[in-house]
Amino acid sequence: MNRPTVVRLTGFSVLALALWFLPALQGPLGFPIFYLLFGYSLLFWFAQASSWNMFTGFSGYFSFGQGAFYGVGVYTTGVLASKQGWPLIAAIPVAGVLAAVLGLSLGFVVFRLRRLQGEIFALVTLAVAFVVAAIARVSSTIDGGSGIALNNVQLPEFLGAYPSMMFRLGLIIATVTIFAAATIQHSRLGWGLFSINDDEAVAESLGVPTFRHKMMAFGLSAFFAGLSGAVHAIQISYITIEDVFSIRIPLFVIVMSVLGGMRHWMGPIVGATIIHTLTDRLNRASDLELFGGNVTVSLDHLNDIIIGLLLILMVLAVKDGLWPRLVRRKWVGAGAFIVGILVARLWAPEMSLIGQFVAGELGAVVILLPSSEVIDRWRNWRSTTGSPDAPSDRPGVGASR
Amino acid sequence: MTLYGQAIISGVLAGGLYAMMSLGVSLSWGVLKIINLAYFSFILLAGYGSYELATSHGWDPFVTVLAVVPVVVIVGALLQLFFEKVKIGEFESLLVTFGLLIMLESVARSIWSADFRRIPSTANPYASSSLKIGDFAFPTPQLSAFLTAIVIGLLMKYLLDRTYFGKAVRALAQDRDMARAFGVDHRRVAVILSGLAAATAAIAGVFIAMSQALFPGLAVEWFGIVFPVVILGGLGSTLGALGAGVVIGVAAAIASVAWGPSYAPLATFVILIATLLFRPEGLFTRKASV
Amino acid sequence: MKLLQFDGIHKRFGGVAALGGVSGTLEEGEILGLVGPNGSGKSTLINILSGFAEPNEGQITFAGVDVTDTEAHHRFEAGIARTYQIPRPFSSMTARNNVAVSLIFGKTKLHPSDATDRALQWLDFAGLAGFADQSVSELNLHQLKYLELARALASEPRVLFLDEVLAGLNPTEIEESILMIRRIHDLGISLVIVEHVLRVVNALSTRIMALNQGLVIAEGAPEDVMKDPEVVRAYLGSRWKHA
Repeated sequence: MNRPTVVRLTGFSVLALALWFLPALQGPLGFPIFYLLFGYSLLFWFAQASSWNMFTGFSGYFSFGQGAFYGVGVYTTGVLASKQGWPLIAAIPVAGVLAAVLGLSLGFVVFRLRRLQGEIFALVTLAVAFVVAAIARVSSTIDGGSGIALNNVQLPEFLGAYPSMMFRLGLIIATVTIFAAATIQHSRLGWGLFSINDDEAVAESLGVPTFRHKMMAFGLSAFFAGLSGAVHAIQISYITIEDVFSIRIPLFVIVMSVLGGMRHWMGPIVGATIIHTLTDRLNRASDLELFGGNVTVSLDHLNDIIIGLLLILMVLAVKDGLWPRLVRRKWVGAGAFIVGILVARLWAPEMSLIGQFVAGELGAVVILLPSSEVIDRWRNWRSTTGSPDAPSDRPGVGASR
Repeated sequence: MTLYGQAIISGVLAGGLYAMMSLGVSLSWGVLKIINLAYFSFILLAGYGSYELATSHGWDPFVTVLAVVPVVVIVGALLQLFFEKVKIGEFESLLVTFGLLIMLESVARSIWSADFRRIPSTANPYASSSLKIGDFAFPTPQLSAFLTAIVIGLLMKYLLDRTYFGKAVRALAQDRDMARAFGVDHRRVAVILSGLAAATAAIAGVFIAMSQALFPGLAVEWFGIVFPVVILGGLGSTLGALGAGVVIGVAAAIASVAWGPSYAPLATFVILIATLLFRPEGLFTRKASV
Repeated sequence: MKLLQFDGIHKRFGGVAALGGVSGTLEEGEILGLVGPNGSGKSTLINILSGFAEPNEGQITFAGVDVTDTEAHHRFEAGIARTYQIPRPFSSMTARNNVAVSLIFGKTKLHPSDATDRALQWLDFAGLAGFADQSVSELNLHQLKYLELARALASEPRVLFLDEVLAGLNPTEIEESILMIRRIHDLGISLVIVEHVLRVVNALSTRIMALNQGLVIAEGAPEDVMKDPEVVRAYLGSRWKHA
């Protein structure tokens, strides 16, 4: 194992270990249990967005099929752990494997049969997601239309009481998923995927085993999505086809990754953090009455409007996402974040911790994006030769467009 | 046997409606190289508009077309102008209109809530009326939709074959850059075409409001109808959309009757996948030489 | 030794025969010039020999091994490389990383971190060392073509197909490119050059193969082929058959 991988492994392990003990500190430090559950949900989105992005973001093959892999994960727990009495700990890896099998089978047909253009591949994955949902609905072994109530599931008590247990499960899965994404990015597989992204035919003629690489990445992506789904079933506790296979999961992972930046494993993390904290706050805010009470905008509808708007803005205006800009303008980003928090504290002192964090994020984004543009243009104008900002060596970050 | 016979009839009639629902996406994708998911919202909002006018203002459901279509056409044309202005790419358009779809669905939910909204039978006498021939029923909304679709199909065919505009459309569909080099004004053609497509979508929405209950989630459910029709019929082909609409309609109806309503989307999506894998240019287009 | 041998290569697109049965060889150390008017099948032949496309019929042997059914990426590993008429760099990567891809996946199979280091040497050979860490969008046509050369060479190929590498270059750039081609040949790499600029093909090639309408019409020493009446007629049309 080379040095960067060792550093990465150590870093991730240390961080994960530190967070492992967070639940144990809840009593002594006295923070509300809510934060553990919020932490779990954030870790859930880290895993979902990362797993999706490790294939789509790196290879450029846009998959709308996240719902299928997540759904397989959820329903594996539903069927094995709830209906068949398996302990959750046993169901989770099976879920991952089943999701991976689905992904590999789909990949085998789709990647082999035709070199499918981007939009056609996207449609196929969308269709497969709907088919999986339909099969689950019609099959009484799986759902049969009545949903599954996840009570009496054997939970891994050794991980702690409910919130601690969920937090730790989420932590393990998010950690391995993100670690996998980071490792892929810097490995031969990552190089292969990025070159496929730019020009698959040329990549193939330069020795990249394109079929094998796409299969590996797609299979891994599905595996982690399934693992994460299997755990999340417990959180949902009553799973139905409509809820599990709704457009929500695929939509959110897309927006999170597009927002954060798709060519780097940190992108989905940044995107998931911003979107999840934002939607969480909006969900808890009270309704807005407009037009004299005729139109009630419950702020969770505002959620969807903001998500949609963000997607549109990012795709049109900020194509490579926030992460490359954060990396180039660390100090502006950090400064703007602090400014955001300070403004929130002054203006709305009773705002919750997460609320302040959101304010900081918004501050960072709102200030970072335009100032990043301004600084770039100013530097371009000032310099006389070529590009003033040499992009970094690594294929993912930096050299954009 | 009559059960299946009725299913086939319902399926064929539904095919007309499906074709009208899909025409927007098909033309937009095939000719303008823009995958415009906003059409799903146009259908939905047109339906809700018709519902409002019929329910709260007593309009005859058929007449609501006069109010609903112009609004949707304007929105559709403006959206197209926006796309022209930002020079949107094919893949970007998919994501951007996906965002739009989410936003518009949310707007619908804010105004009309997630409950089912159906024009009450007092305001909508057509829902229960039908033409009866022998043992078979031809429900009025579905029959009118089908006939309208045929008329639209013939009009489009005339437009495409006999007018300058039609030639411009076909030229753009085949080779965009060459067409522009020969003087085809892309912006004008695009805006007019998207206006026509939006009109069809709005008409479809009115018929839907006439025949079933509306709820915001319908837009995404329609993926299972529109995408199979668009791909099976061939991108940009009006008559292809009609033919594919009928095929999908009949397939869904038979699956429904044979195994249950939950099997309908299963059937249509399986058809979509099979088409994408084995004949992505569609059933009705000549196979391009590779 | 016969490095490359191809027999009876047929390629049809729909009803059109782009190649109607083309055979030939490449000896080690040769520079084979491939000439012919537009549409004669030169690029198609290159695509097929390098693994970019599959023939409908025919056989290809490389260093004694049948590679007809071998996928493009395996051919690259085995030592067959090519450049493109219109350069196709990896647009999101730096010049260095473009070459690194070749080092990682080609014959050398280097580890990514070693590959990015070694890439500099090949950029240097191509005179692009100064652009190593710039995005390829900063490079002009001539530089992009050199980048493609560096990328192809990094895998230490035994055969390199140059597909109209001089297209679009001004006279100075053409002279430089000719020198570069000679330097590549001096490395011991056998070349197949598809080119329109006939005087260059004449000057560089040890042997020329002329195609017209998917068939070989002449083959041999440059002076002989260029004077062959069939070849002249193919380029200039039958009114000039006595030119």
